[in-house]
Amino acid sequence: MSGISAAACLLLFAGHPPAHSALASAGPQAARIESLWWLFFWVCSAVFLLVMAALAVGLVRDRTPEEAGAAPGPIPPEARRRRTRVVAVATAITALILFVFLFASTGTGRAIASLSRSDRSDAMTVEVTGHQWWWEVQYIDPVPGQRVTTANEIHIPVGRPVRIRTASHDVIHSFWVPSLHGKRDLIPGHDSEDFWLQADRPGVYRGQCAEFCGHQHAHMAFLVIADPPDRFAAWLDAQRQPAATPATPQALRGQDLFVHLQCALCHAVEGTDAGGRVGPDLTHVASRRTLAAATLPNTRGHLSDWIVDSQRIKPGNPMPPTRLAGEDLESILAYLESLK
Amino acid sequence: MSRRADLDVSGLPSVVYGPRASLWWGVVGIMAIEGTMFAILAASYFYLRGGAVEWPPTDVRHPGLGITTFGLAILLASILPMHWAAKAAEREDLKGIRLWLIVSTVLMVAFLVVRGLVMRSLTFRWDSHAYGSLVWTAAGLHTVHVVTGTCENLLFLALLDRGPVEDKHMLDLRLNSLYWYFVALSWVVFYCIFFLDPGLLKMR
Amino acid sequence: MSIAEVDDIGQGWAGEDADAEERRRLEKTWKVPSNPLRAWFTNVDHKDLGKRYVVTALVFFVLGGIEAFLMRLQLARPESRLIGPDRYGQLFTVHGSTMMFLFAVPIMLGLGTYLVPLMIGTRNLAFPRLNAFSYWVYLAGGLLLYVGLFTNTGPDAGWFAYVPLSGPGFSPGKRVDIWAQMITFTEISSLAVAVNLITTIFKHRAPGMSLNRIPLYVWSLLVTSFMVVFAMPAVMLSSLMLAMDRLVDTHFFNPAEGGDALLWQHLFWFFGHPEVYIIFIPALGIVSSILSAFTRREVFGYLAMVMSLVATGFIGFGLWVHHMFATGLPQLGTSFFTAASMMIAIPSGIQIFCWTATLWGSRPRLKTPLLYVLGFFFIFVIGGLTGVMLASVPLDLQVHDTFFVVAHFHYVLIGGSVFPLLGGLFFWFPKMTGRRLSEGMGKLSFWLVFIGFNLTFFPMHQLGLDGMPRRIYTYLPETGWGTLNLLATVGAGILGLGLLVFFVNAAQALRHGEAAGNDPWGADTLEWAIASPPPSYNFLRLPTVAGRSALWSRREDQAEVTGLRSDRREVLVTNLLDAEPDHRDVLPGPTIWPFILGLGVAVTFITAIFTPWGVLIGAVPCAVALVAWFWPRGDMDREVVMEKRS
Repeated sequence: MSGISAAACLLLFAGHPPAHSALASAGPQAARIESLWWLFFWVCSAVFLLVMAALAVGLVRDRTPEEAGAAPGPIPPEARRRRTRVVAVATAITALILFVFLFASTGTGRAIASLSRSDRSDAMTVEVTGHQWWWEVQYIDPVPGQRVTTANEIHIPVGRPVRIRTASHDVIHSFWVPSLHGKRDLIPGHDSEDFWLQADRPGVYRGQCAEFCGHQHAHMAFLVIADPPDRFAAWLDAQRQPAATPATPQALRGQDLFVHLQCALCHAVEGTDAGGRVGPDLTHVASRRTLAAATLPNTRGHLSDWIVDSQRIKPGNPMPPTRLAGEDLESILAYLESLK
Repeated sequence: MSRRADLDVSGLPSVVYGPRASLWWGVVGIMAIEGTMFAILAASYFYLRGGAVEWPPTDVRHPGLGITTFGLAILLASILPMHWAAKAAEREDLKGIRLWLIVSTVLMVAFLVVRGLVMRSLTFRWDSHAYGSLVWTAAGLHTVHVVTGTCENLLFLALLDRGPVEDKHMLDLRLNSLYWYFVALSWVVFYCIFFLDPGLLKMR
Repeated sequence: MSIAEVDDIGQGWAGEDADAEERRRLEKTWKVPSNPLRAWFTNVDHKDLGKRYVVTALVFFVLGGIEAFLMRLQLARPESRLIGPDRYGQLFTVHGSTMMFLFAVPIMLGLGTYLVPLMIGTRNLAFPRLNAFSYWVYLAGGLLLYVGLFTNTGPDAGWFAYVPLSGPGFSPGKRVDIWAQMITFTEISSLAVAVNLITTIFKHRAPGMSLNRIPLYVWSLLVTSFMVVFAMPAVMLSSLMLAMDRLVDTHFFNPAEGGDALLWQHLFWFFGHPEVYIIFIPALGIVSSILSAFTRREVFGYLAMVMSLVATGFIGFGLWVHHMFATGLPQLGTSFFTAASMMIAIPSGIQIFCWTATLWGSRPRLKTPLLYVLGFFFIFVIGGLTGVMLASVPLDLQVHDTFFVVAHFHYVLIGGSVFPLLGGLFFWFPKMTGRRLSEGMGKLSFWLVFIGFNLTFFPMHQLGLDGMPRRIYTYLPETGWGTLNLLATVGAGILGLGLLVFFVNAAQALRHGEAAGNDPWGADTLEWAIASPPPSYNFLRLPTVAGRSALWSRREDQAEVTGLRSDRREVLVTNLLDAEPDHRDVLPGPTIWPFILGLGVAVTFITAIFTPWGVLIGAVPCAVALVAWFWPRGDMDREVVMEKRS
């Protein structure tokens, strides 16, 4: 398992960055928007070239004979009538193009919305809460014990729409996975309408906060990981388990330190006394691909750097530097790494 | 070059009234700006009200239709003497101007006293909730306008006392009245939404 | 036709057998105080104040440009540690606020205060003292913002300061308060200028300049001024609400107490979208002025042009929600705003077509100002087309708040506004200073600016589509955004170099420039009929107008206005529709009170940042200044109704 995640990290950060482009769509909504984009792009390009061509030709043409030696003033009536016709036609074409755009745009809007209109009472609901500066992700389940809380990583099954319910309790954030869908602002005090995500291909899709939300707006990313349904089910099942009991004495010591030092004030680990809700839930932290809201690959070295002085990595983030003796740090790292 | 025809304007007057005067446009411009501001404040009220769970909040008690209507009546009544002052200015009747300015100033001060009583009787403050913020801000902005209007009247009274009074001041006086109509009438809107709204009347 | 011939026409106004006595009297009456210090604080001349506006705004432009360049340096490579997040937040906030509130609007309105009275043939603005006051308040706002930035108290919540981030809970300290008060300062200033311009344009036009003969540049300022009057109160009110939420605990934007964060967005963009047109419409006027001068033709389709300006002004108020598509508003409502946002392309299109029709086969002289106008066509058309894309809700959901939008609005604002402005400054520089700029350096600066601009901002479209959000102070290497960002930074360097050449050109011309003469370009509006720089009273005799191009349609025996008194600052007021002579007004002369009032306003707003009692403290100097402003000094030689009592 650790081999797989290490390989995934390599894959993730070495050769193939996760897709995060509106022009590399991997879901039905982004694909719709992408085709709309290309319609707009080609028509607008043509319009631009035509206008520039008209301007260029106009610049090099000679004056009409009747105007050649004329005093400055209005354009002669003859030429004026011709030009009035041309301008009127050009205006009519402009209006026509805009109507085409309007219909295409409204049509795409409907198509995007239709994903949510069909009855999907069985669909999975994921609650995404924006925090300064990370994402809390909860998989809703009628059975309270079956709820899964994780952070900065949203796993979804390929080919199935997933209902996303967003919220924010501090400032405005904006949820955006360019390869899957457009963005949605998370506005404190506004329960926004649910929306839907669907990935048609397995893969890792990067998302990032799109509304300026303070100092570390730049480091508030997340990953959407689309897996085949069976792998997704396995993942969800693993996440439902409480944290693994530490197997080595070092990790056990790490757990003890974690629960009794300041860590537990902000972080929770299911199955232990650590129940802080300020920072990300760490129950399965070692299973995640990244740290610090998709800022660092999840390796021991980065984890250590982050714990010792996260302010060097994300200046202004709420996690204070932690002074730890070398041995204590090693124990905590061993513990956290055991939280698969 | 041939001799030009001249456009002789020496016979034209130098003080005119109404939209002919530049200053009229200046004052109307200010009224447009402040009117827009009041309109947007009223729009904000309805926007917040539309999104509210309970409006007004439970701790809000109506200050009483009697005293608020009385205040509005004084304010509207002050329009009359201001109008007569403007008429007197048209005739360059300094005595008339003084009389009506004094009458209207007394009414303005009376209104300010009533305004003070109403605000004191409110069961909430600007920092109680958004409703409170709206009421206090609207009343505050309007009070600033009324105080300014009162001060302008006092300034004109001082001018009438000390001199010199120039022909141009007759225009100023008329525009002063025009502006006052705006200040007085703009409260009608807020009176209606804060005190007369049937939904809010029930809350007593 | 040579330029010399046109000069002859222009000279005519100044009077053939010059009435030296009249000139001497006017000079005495309209004199600017000779003591420079006194002149600085008491001057009410629209030309001096207009130049002051332009220069001050250009200083802020340079400051805002330096901030932009620092941001580009930071973004040139991934994970750069040049500028930290805190400073970066201040930089982009102050950059945006400077460019919108301290550069673009003031320079457009300031240039208007310089040019409008000259173009419509009068001696000053309708309210000269108000004009001085506007300048002082604007300056105070600008200084406040930069004192903030240089003391590490620069606002850092973005130029549209969304709550709750800018509210009391998430932006403690005074940073956002400084921003909110700066907004109030500059809005007061712009509103005062707008009322001044509207009145001047409506009432002080030369006889014969009926509504359908007003130069297009003046029309553009008229429409802009109306937009200011109805748009800016929204932001004044919302910045007041924000300041009160922060300072006296009101709850306008606090959802826990019945407030609403979206209210801020509605109010801000109800102002913010018209604001774009407030910056852009005067530039359209500049384009028309330059085009007609260099094609030696009246701009084609006057009525269509005017109606387009007016239509833009109206539709501009119906677009604000397209800044809020991502907030999840109901679909029906957003379709309306999509339609409106797309429809505004029609009046813009009509204007582009009319200008093209003007240029068509005119063999224009390709001087620097015209090059800037051609650059405007290229860039603005791209910006307009990406604007149409942003009007589409689905596309907007993808590119909103990304570098695509950054690219779009720089194409619209720099291309649509700064290019014409640079062309316009080049065009009117001879009029303002009496000196001509170097064409060689002018062309060099144009090409540097044009190439630098496109290199900087074109790649940003791609960056936005590739998922780069705006306002991030850094990004990870694996995002793949590094190359295009580096390209943009190189472009910014070239752009900066081009602007440097522009300013060096101006500095050199001021010292060694060739004398300009009255009408170096052979243009058609009234300002070219008088000396460069114009005398303090503008026209020896106020002109009359017989056609749309005041100078080109001027007849041999064109009448001039006589009978205005030259021993007091008398101007002619005409009626609104037909500009027939109506009455004579007397304008005030130099006075210190606008400055004192400006100071009082500054005291009010700045102390209010620290204590609500500031409002009362500041009321005292304001009241004193207002009384002194109003109190008759008897220097206007008006008819006295009642003598001063001894």
